[in-house]
Amino acid sequence: MRGFIAAFMAVLMLAVAGCADSGPGETDWLNKEYSAIEEAAKDSTVRFYMWGGSAQINQWVDTYVAEEVRNRYGITLVRVPMDASVFVNKLLTEKAAGKTSGTIDLLWINGENFKKCRQADALFGPYADKLPNFQKYVDRKLAAHDFGFPTDGYETPYGTAQFVFEYDSARQSGHPAAFANLKEWVKKNPGRFTYPQPPDFTGSAFIRQAFYAVTGGSDQYLGGWDEALFNRNAPKLWAYLNDLKPYLWQEGRAYPKNVAALDTLFARGEVDINMSYHPMHAQSKILEGTYPESVRTFIMKEGSIFNLHFTAIPFNASNKPGAMVVANFLMSPEAQLSKLDPANWGDFPALDNTLLPDEMREAMQAVDLGEPTLGPDVLGAAAVPEIAAEYVEALERGWEENVLR
Amino acid sequence: MSCARAGTGRTLLKLSPLLVPLALLFAGGLALAVAQSLGYMLPFDYHGGRFDAYANLLTERCIKSAALSLYVAVVSAGLSVAVGSVLAYGIWRLPERLERAAIVYKVPLILPHIAVAFIVLIFWSKSGVVSAAAYHAGLVASIDQFPSVLFSGNGLGMILAYTYKEIPFTILLAYAVLKRMDPQLVTTASMLGASEPRVFLRVVLPHMAKTLHTTFIILFLYSFGAFDIPFLLGESTPGMLSIEVYNLYFRRELADRPTAMAILTCMFLFSLFFIWLYTRVAKQMQPRERKL
Repeated sequence: MRGFIAAFMAVLMLAVAGCADSGPGETDWLNKEYSAIEEAAKDSTVRFYMWGGSAQINQWVDTYVAEEVRNRYGITLVRVPMDASVFVNKLLTEKAAGKTSGTIDLLWINGENFKKCRQADALFGPYADKLPNFQKYVDRKLAAHDFGFPTDGYETPYGTAQFVFEYDSARQSGHPAAFANLKEWVKKNPGRFTYPQPPDFTGSAFIRQAFYAVTGGSDQYLGGWDEALFNRNAPKLWAYLNDLKPYLWQEGRAYPKNVAALDTLFARGEVDINMSYHPMHAQSKILEGTYPESVRTFIMKEGSIFNLHFTAIPFNASNKPGAMVVANFLMSPEAQLSKLDPANWGDFPALDNTLLPDEMREAMQAVDLGEPTLGPDVLGAAAVPEIAAEYVEALERGWEENVLR
Repeated sequence: MSCARAGTGRTLLKLSPLLVPLALLFAGGLALAVAQSLGYMLPFDYHGGRFDAYANLLTERCIKSAALSLYVAVVSAGLSVAVGSVLAYGIWRLPERLERAAIVYKVPLILPHIAVAFIVLIFWSKSGVVSAAAYHAGLVASIDQFPSVLFSGNGLGMILAYTYKEIPFTILLAYAVLKRMDPQLVTTASMLGASEPRVFLRVVLPHMAKTLHTTFIILFLYSFGAFDIPFLLGESTPGMLSIEVYNLYFRRELADRPTAMAILTCMFLFSLFFIWLYTRVAKQMQPRERKL
């Protein structure tokens, strides 16, 4: 019996020691030629950690992307579905524990999660300039910031999202044309409007746009965090949102927990207006059969917020060359074109249109985005940028203190 | 005496395959939570004071959250124990054939909590089944006029979900106790002229008391700290503590993590305190019951 226990303890000790084991010596991939990186990526496996909540996106990654990188570079792509906050947490824990050989090779990331990882120094880079497609097709000015936080080459663009509202043209209530009219509209249609509770991503974007709209535009906030400016302007937003409150769903006593909850309320007819950070969300919901064909999208006159989403590589990725090759492939015009097709995913490209070869530009313009989707021209004209994460956090916190209570 | 101590040591050693993982995982996790609440072992540079995270808990919002969690836990555990014990007695009194059929009460037991939350959502939301039925029966003029059962700020949705799940749990435990009770006790009490409620309160209830106390503690602690049902049915303001922790930890800045950990630490301490207090009070109640 004693022998057994001793053996057991020994195994346990070994297991504990094994956890702390450090990885083999690392090659400095940042100083290698791209051809050498591509060579090293051959026959390797890339573990892509990404939000897995959309069957359509999963399908696209599993079929198109996986097949292309296998045929072109001999890479096996393994998709690991996980919420961004969860894998970022995993990465930060690995960083804190000093684990030098991690399980994540590539991340789908942006905004606050990227900032968190950068602050903890948990990302590999700067690698963006190593990638040929980044050099050829990406609008560097646009890709230089992620929610006002400098990217510094630690992540590469993957796609663009822009905020749209949705309404059902078959219902009587119509929709407001601007934030300035929203109050009249909710008074006329009490209980038929609400927004997801910040810090939900979409709800947070909604209050940010309202913030721009009631304080005179986004330009003043682009210079980075300015506390005095925020303190001067924020009360206008709280007043605006508190005026709406009695006319919201549940008289503003409760808000949908996340945008999925709002989707359900809209689809079941409890509210008349929905919102999404994906311009083609309505179209894909119609194709899915959850929305009636009469649903259309619209944007407010004051503008609609947009952002880029990115891929990044953890500091301890065990297959950095493979991850760089996949990140590069995701920025190729072919991959971006395939991604734009609503039948595949319907995500707007993250590339600079003017840098594309003519036939690629034409092919992108020829993609049928579906009846409810606003054209890139309408969206582009109304696009307003995201602002520094400090604003986002201050708005979310202030909303809780001034509006939610 | 020394011999007994050596025996304890050996027992502990023999239990080590169980104790070591428990100590590592549970105590380790707890220690990490406490350490992070004090600003140690965080994945970023912490600049605040040692007890800043605990000072953050004294805000109105946080206290209201704690009050709501407490309220939902007390009401749902109390209701479940009260209703469950009466139903268990009812099932026990049934003729044997029906008693076997009463096994249907176990259905909610096998449903996961999250499924129960969805059931409540589908039935009781404004566009739900009950509201639609009320509309078709002409009870309300439109679904908008259906009273808001869920998300109205009083935790009713969560209480509905918890009681649906927990009443069968109480029945299960209380019924097991009743199975061991001599039926003649009840017959005798009735023959001596005790009314039905009196039989239940004076004969049956004292028999189940010990189990019901344990049941209440289990149910209370579960609903106090659980995440899944509040995630679907929780209120916006105040939010349940578990949701507040989730938001602070996952959806906010890194700098909020010590506060999240401070809430968890306080919840753990409160749970221990609650068990201690409850068992003390329950013990004091017992002799009085016997005297009567």
